[in-house]
Amino acid sequence: MAVDPDLFESMKLELRRGSLVMAVLACLRTERYGYTLRQALAADGLEMEESTLYPLLRRLEGQGLLDSEWREEEKRKKRFYRLSPAGTEMLIALTDEWRGINASLDKLL
Amino acid sequence: MDTIDRYLNAVAAQLPQDERADILAELRDLILSRFEAKEEEVGRPLGEEEQEAILREIGHPLVVAARYRKGPDSLVGPELFPYWLFGVKAGLLILLVVQSITLFIHLVTGPANAGQSITQAFHGYFGSALALIGAATVAAAAAEHYGVRPKWLTQWRVKDLGAFGLSDPAAWGAAVAGMETPKAHPAPRKSETWPGGEHLFSLLATGLFLLWWIGLIHLPALGQLGLRGEDATVTGAPIWTRLFLPILIYGLIRLSIDLDGLLRPQAIRMRAVGEAALAAAGLWLTWTIFQAGHWFTLERDGQKAHIAGDWLMLDFDRLRDLADGPRDLVGVAGTLSLVAVWVLALIAISLAWKMFANLWRAARAA
Repeated sequence: MAVDPDLFESMKLELRRGSLVMAVLACLRTERYGYTLRQALAADGLEMEESTLYPLLRRLEGQGLLDSEWREEEKRKKRFYRLSPAGTEMLIALTDEWRGINASLDKLL
Repeated sequence: MDTIDRYLNAVAAQLPQDERADILAELRDLILSRFEAKEEEVGRPLGEEEQEAILREIGHPLVVAARYRKGPDSLVGPELFPYWLFGVKAGLLILLVVQSITLFIHLVTGPANAGQSITQAFHGYFGSALALIGAATVAAAAAEHYGVRPKWLTQWRVKDLGAFGLSDPAAWGAAVAGMETPKAHPAPRKSETWPGGEHLFSLLATGLFLLWWIGLIHLPALGQLGLRGEDATVTGAPIWTRLFLPILIYGLIRLSIDLDGLLRPQAIRMRAVGEAALAAAGLWLTWTIFQAGHWFTLERDGQKAHIAGDWLMLDFDRLRDLADGPRDLVGVAGTLSLVAVWVLALIAISLAWKMFANLWRAARAA
């Protein structure tokens, strides 16, 4: 029986949702501003809407996982984000968790 | 004002004042970056339609601004939704029962006016149902907003879940018929009870009563009675005006005891004392209502009849003749008077029992 494309899309979104925070944290080990971060994520196959990414960046910063700084680049002020020390710790913990889930799933699949 | 400013103004209006400038500066940079990337791709400045296409990709201003909100995303979130749904279902069923009893009385006393009575009942039911759903949603939204999570949401026990079955009409039917509902497992052994379940249902019923008592929920069918195809108006006797405040206070105390039962289910002794005192107050109210001797007035075509009574009417022989009473205004008033006297007597007995039972419970818990 063929896979229902709508159902697949909805389940794929559910699957991706939890991993996007990790992807953003991992990508911000290198300092970036929102637009280049989105491009970097897309280049690695993780497309993300701006309306999701920018509020997520603010939330992560509010949680102390990111640091940010307004700086001028290409004649315009841009807000640069990078992983904070707390963010680095969190990324390590989440990566361990992710690998554990992955190993368990690999045994099942 | 250019396209970007119009878009950002629409977003800005939805954002909190303290973060507005910061968020807008970042959004402006994002939009300009997107425009520049597209201009580089096509090798010319973008037209207004192309700019709008990019803004549509970024998202509608309401959606974009909503993503920056710090509070809950929905009025009733997934955690509270099952409780909201139960409250609404149970409340709607209670309203349905009240409305059905009212309709039944109307149909029995004035069958020629059945169409109008049914229309009034539907009208009353849907009006009250909308008010109930609105009130439940406002309560849930407030709980979401302030992060209120009463203890009974997390510290529930399996043996106290009986009240939740009452949102299933089949369970009501079985309870009325005295039948056992199918059980998935043997009945749990009796042990110290957590009164959360009974309080939840009482809270809903008292809440609905109070909304009606202060006039927020209207049951228009209660004010009229069909008699042989003509409407008779039912008006309350002066005793209800005199007791408006005491009954309101009684209902509010009932509500607060139920809330306490939900929030502090283990405070059994203190609540038992409160229940006993409230039952005593209920007895005083019942006695005062009984002593007034006149409770309602039926009126039709200038003719009036009182729904009134005294101790002498507590006679089983008179109950036997209930169905044979005359169907004119005075006859119906006489029948309803007899019903009212017996209802008040049964309420008094139930309150006296409740008072002694709670005093006993308080003494045992000491």
